[in-house]
Amino acid sequence: MKTPPFKLFQPKTIEEAISISSNFIENNEQFDWIAGGTDLLPNYKWHLNTKPNVISLALIEDLFHLDSTHIGAMVRLHDLANFADAHPIIKKAAASIASVLIRQSGTVGGNIALDTRCFWYNQAEEWRRSIEWCHKCDCDTSADCRVIANQNELCVATYQADLAPSLMVLNAQIHLCGPDGSRDMPLSEFFELDGIKRNVLKKGEIITHLTISDDANSWEGDYQKLSLRESWDFPEAGVAAAWRYSSQSPSEGLELRIATTALESIPRLHNNITNEALINKSTIDEIAAKLRLDVKPVNNTTFPPNYRKKMVEVLCKKALDGMKGELT
Amino acid sequence: MSKEIKGYRQQPGKLPFAKPGSGGREPFSKLRDLDMIPESEGGKRPQPKGKNRHDHLLTGSSVGRRTPLVDSNWKVTGQAKYGDDIRIPNELIGRILRSPHHYAKIRSIDTSEAEAIPGVLAIETGQQHTDLFGVLPVTKDEHAMAVDKVRHVGDLVACVAAEDEATALEALRKIKVDYEILKPIHNMKKSLDDVDEPIHDRGKYHIGQSNVQKRVFQEFGNFDGMKKAHASSKEKWKFAGVNHGFTEPHAVVANWEPSGRLTLYTPQQVPHYVHRSLADVLKIPMHQINVHRTFVGGGFGGKSDPFPHEMCAAILARKTGRPVRITFDRDEVFYTNRGRHPSHIEMNIHVDDNARICGIETDALIDGGAFASFGHVTTYYNGVLHTAPYEIGSFHYTGARVWTNKPASGAMRGHGAVNSRCAVELGIDDICTQLEVDPISFRLANLLPPHSSTITGFRITSIGMRECLERVREACDWEQKFRKLPLGHGIGIGCGFFISGSGLPIHWDPNKFPHATVHLKIDMDGGVTIHTGAADIGQGSDTVVAQSVSEVLGLPIEMIRVKSRDSDTSPVDLGSYSSRVTFMNANAAISAAIEIREELLKATAEICNVDKETLVIGDRRIYQKKDPAVGISYLEALHKAQEDRGALVSSGSYRTPPMGGVHKGAAAGLAPAYSFSAYAAEVKVDPETGITKVIKVWAAHDCGRALNPLSVEGQIIGSCHMGLGQVLTEEMKYGRNGSLLNPNLLDYKIPTVHEMPEVVPIIVESNDPEGPFGAKEAGEGPLLPILPAVCNAVYDAIGIRTNELPITPDKLYKQIERKMKVLDIKSPLDLPNPTLNHSELQKALDERANEHKIRDSERKLNTEREPYYNGTLFGKISTIPPEEQDENWTLSVTPSEEYLANPRLAGSAWKHQEVRHMNKGDDA
Ligand SMILES: Cc1cc2nc3c(=O)[nH]c(=O)nc-3n(C[C@H](O)[C@H](O)[C@H](O)COP(=O)(O)OP(=O)(O)OC[C@H]3O[C@@H](n4cnc5c(N)ncnc54)[C@H](O)[C@@H]3O)c2cc1C
Ligand code: SF4
Repeated sequence: MKTPPFKLFQPKTIEEAISISSNFIENNEQFDWIAGGTDLLPNYKWHLNTKPNVISLALIEDLFHLDSTHIGAMVRLHDLANFADAHPIIKKAAASIASVLIRQSGTVGGNIALDTRCFWYNQAEEWRRSIEWCHKCDCDTSADCRVIANQNELCVATYQADLAPSLMVLNAQIHLCGPDGSRDMPLSEFFELDGIKRNVLKKGEIITHLTISDDANSWEGDYQKLSLRESWDFPEAGVAAAWRYSSQSPSEGLELRIATTALESIPRLHNNITNEALINKSTIDEIAAKLRLDVKPVNNTTFPPNYRKKMVEVLCKKALDGMKGELT
Repeated sequence: MSKEIKGYRQQPGKLPFAKPGSGGREPFSKLRDLDMIPESEGGKRPQPKGKNRHDHLLTGSSVGRRTPLVDSNWKVTGQAKYGDDIRIPNELIGRILRSPHHYAKIRSIDTSEAEAIPGVLAIETGQQHTDLFGVLPVTKDEHAMAVDKVRHVGDLVACVAAEDEATALEALRKIKVDYEILKPIHNMKKSLDDVDEPIHDRGKYHIGQSNVQKRVFQEFGNFDGMKKAHASSKEKWKFAGVNHGFTEPHAVVANWEPSGRLTLYTPQQVPHYVHRSLADVLKIPMHQINVHRTFVGGGFGGKSDPFPHEMCAAILARKTGRPVRITFDRDEVFYTNRGRHPSHIEMNIHVDDNARICGIETDALIDGGAFASFGHVTTYYNGVLHTAPYEIGSFHYTGARVWTNKPASGAMRGHGAVNSRCAVELGIDDICTQLEVDPISFRLANLLPPHSSTITGFRITSIGMRECLERVREACDWEQKFRKLPLGHGIGIGCGFFISGSGLPIHWDPNKFPHATVHLKIDMDGGVTIHTGAADIGQGSDTVVAQSVSEVLGLPIEMIRVKSRDSDTSPVDLGSYSSRVTFMNANAAISAAIEIREELLKATAEICNVDKETLVIGDRRIYQKKDPAVGISYLEALHKAQEDRGALVSSGSYRTPPMGGVHKGAAAGLAPAYSFSAYAAEVKVDPETGITKVIKVWAAHDCGRALNPLSVEGQIIGSCHMGLGQVLTEEMKYGRNGSLLNPNLLDYKIPTVHEMPEVVPIIVESNDPEGPFGAKEAGEGPLLPILPAVCNAVYDAIGIRTNELPITPDKLYKQIERKMKVLDIKSPLDLPNPTLNHSELQKALDERANEHKIRDSERKLNTEREPYYNGTLFGKISTIPPEEQDENWTLSVTPSEEYLANPRLAGSAWKHQEVRHMNKGDDA
């Protein structure tokens, strides 16, 4: 298996990186960002949507900053998992990713911007040729999607990264920088449906960092991941939950957020469910049952979708375990 | 005394070798370690299982000692050269074009555009190389590359040699193949039917127009008991196919040397068959080929076929005149496969009111994929290898192996025995639940004794099954745990039985040629060179021969060097499969060492002027047993023995004794000895998710004698890991269109260190009368019991009996839901937890087990013992074959009309006639 040749660029500052990318855009040249490379390079080896130019973010010092409210895009998952001041949910989620070795290279930015996955797609070139490709990497054949048949408009490849839901329930803000300047938004607004588009990143734009508000520590919570093996495996479903009681009135002032990953093309906050639950004073079991109905996994990962759906309910109960009985 | 030469004298300054020096790293020889010498030879090693024919050869040097593998330094320092590490200057890179279609005819192949690429030196296709090969001479059905049609996605179509990999890959993209797509078959059940275009054409031996490659029918015993069985367990099983998952992908280097001879460097388990196949395909005599076995990064059966890519490398090297290296990507490993067969097995077990197993009925349909490989044997093994360790009243087996358009299945650790063994052991657990008896007691009361004959005529010699069960029961605290742990927590037992070396050499008559041959050479330096063809694939076969020779000659192991790589210098060995190497090769090594030993003793007797019979060999010293002061060093004896002729050489070989029945297929499963094992597994199952975690395993294995306890334990632990994969997570998954969905090691789920439980290895030594120093095998048998032990533990934990492997959480959860529905419960946490209240039978079983225990130890120690035939437990006379005393005894290897009227699944393969019998009336 050979990685196709590409030209590597190694800017030292964000400005330099953006100017390289702007240049490519002007000249209509294709390129990819690379951080730890633990996702991009395996995909390149399989000749999945490879580009002739790759810009590395590994030498940009500004992207490495880590403190309790600021997580740089180039922070290694291993460091995040072992960072004393990181929120426990984030640490737990980071520590559940891939394996020790991969966490030493894999970064936060790469995890957030992780490519979506699908067993019709994450395969060697020869393999994909044998199914005559699919929409996401169609090799100019206009091939259909193999999951949702008879169409080549939508890709429903699954977003199988672990960090996003934990950051979402802590209301993290994501910060981007690109040729058109900087912008930021709640992480929950960063993702966009469609397994090819994936997120709001514009051409030439990078994630610089995430911020978490000061009061994150007043939130308790948990992250629960479903996978066949304890190490290595991508999540087949992931549920993060966070809650807190406002100091004035414990029973009235409960706040609750739940987010899921690995079930659809994007990770998602389920505010509709939590808001309703707070108003109706639902039980944990009721919330979990609702969550199960709210997710729509498809058949393109290891476990069958109906099992993943059922497990969302179990994961949700387990994630809310620490809150037991407090809701009503 | 040598004749004195007149007129010549030793010149001053040219002294003979120093006298007291005795070789090895330690300058001085040590006293014999009496703890390692058996009591019968005057030592202190107890012999509860009696004497062994090799006792007098024991010197205490290395047998029975924890010995690091002799090649481990190469591995741990990264200097071992595996297939892809072989670099010959001026090499070319070979790559293989593979079929994108499941099943298609090749209309034409156009290589012109690819050939025009600079740096492409050769492109070959199947058309020029039409000779068939295959591991079994009776079922050769493979080509170097597809000749007329491709039979699965990944089948070889063409090969390219180029200056570098990128160029070779570019060339593959430019080869144009025109296919006519045929209708593929992925469902093994469909392969039982007649079709327009069977995947292979076997001419007059073809079975109907179907895709049945091999079928077996066997009926042994008196079936009356089974018809009025007291209790029965019936289950229809589905086993997914699994791959060996070895670390090193296949790799090969072919080099046509200036001598005009080919050297093929390949990580092979069975170099000799590659040797033969190369000669067939290249059409050159075998003496023009040297097969060099590199270090092997794991084989487990997956590197024991001669492979098409090995042929391709040789073909390309011949064409280009340059060395060619081919290394696989992991997906190519999966396309080559030869893993365990996906199987549908129907297993019915019947017991009578005395809790005796009056019948086993097995029907096994196994999915062979696109080629025959070892499948002929696998089809038999799925049946015959569960006729022991239990005494049974009758045995009915129907097996069929079919071709489908998938990568070929083949031999994998525990070859053919693993799946049906799992089904048997779960059936027994189920029956014990029905009878309300303890499953260990049940087993202990139904075992064959030592030196007995199974229902199909296998010759059991040593059997440590009872001790395995007893020791596991004690170690795991069985009485306190079984059926007593809380919901979600369970313990289970499973047993295993496996051959220790296939009795039949595949390529020749066992009465004519030996199974294994070992040559020894000792020159003046005193070091011993062993030449053997046995393939060390990481299992430690080099170490075992080195230990055997070191033991007999009383030498430290560092004085032994093993040359086992090149067919040019190694005597022919059948290879590393069927767990034959320790048994056969160490036996051959011992006989070769005995010859040298005799020479050394003779020389010592002459020098010391004592009777040869009074001498013993200790650590690098040969001396009188009674008066150790009288003796000489090993080197002195050696140099004396070398006078007049130079280096000592000897040759030893091993051949199985005559054994077994005469019915068709009687040789399948015959072995000079069998291994036995019993494991208990403790698991936790989360009823809410179906996730099973194995927390501890107690693993007792009867290997006869642990020549190297370190590697026996390694094999037990490794087997547990491998078996855990099959039982919990591993499967070759095929999508709705027949594509293999997970040909990579992320999606093919081998358990990681996190999934690996603590394993407590328990070595049981039954002292085999014919094994080397009493040894049998430990390479494959230890895998069998882990599957049923885990499955039975899952039942103990949540009361659900699986009938499908692997037990992935989604599948188990489905069963949990089904059960909740049946019992009308809302939460899986309310599932009933299995309990056990012993029935009356329990006492009877315990009594019978106790009687049998006495019977067994008497038989073991009594060398004048009479025969014991399976059937004795059911009231037959033990010393007469059952067929000679029971009129209703059936022995049949073809189905009756009556059976064919209503055959079971695999049995329906017998509905077809072979082509040669067609149009000939009813003589099917
Ligand atoms: C065997 C294996 C198991 C794995 N298991 C898991 C798992 O359990 N859970 C999990 O979440 N992930 C898993 N992964 C995926 C991956 O390792 C991690 O998600 C990791 O965090 C990716 O980070 P990276 O820096 O290596 O990303 P890269 O490979 O460098 O990049 C990934 C993608 O993000 C883009 N990108 C990277 N940084 C930025 C940035 N700053 N701005 C904009 N775009 C950016 C890249 O262009 C690329 O498209 C696994 C990977 C492997 C190989
Ligand atoms: S979801 Fe459809 S388009 Fe997307 S990767 Fe899978 S098969 Fe291709």
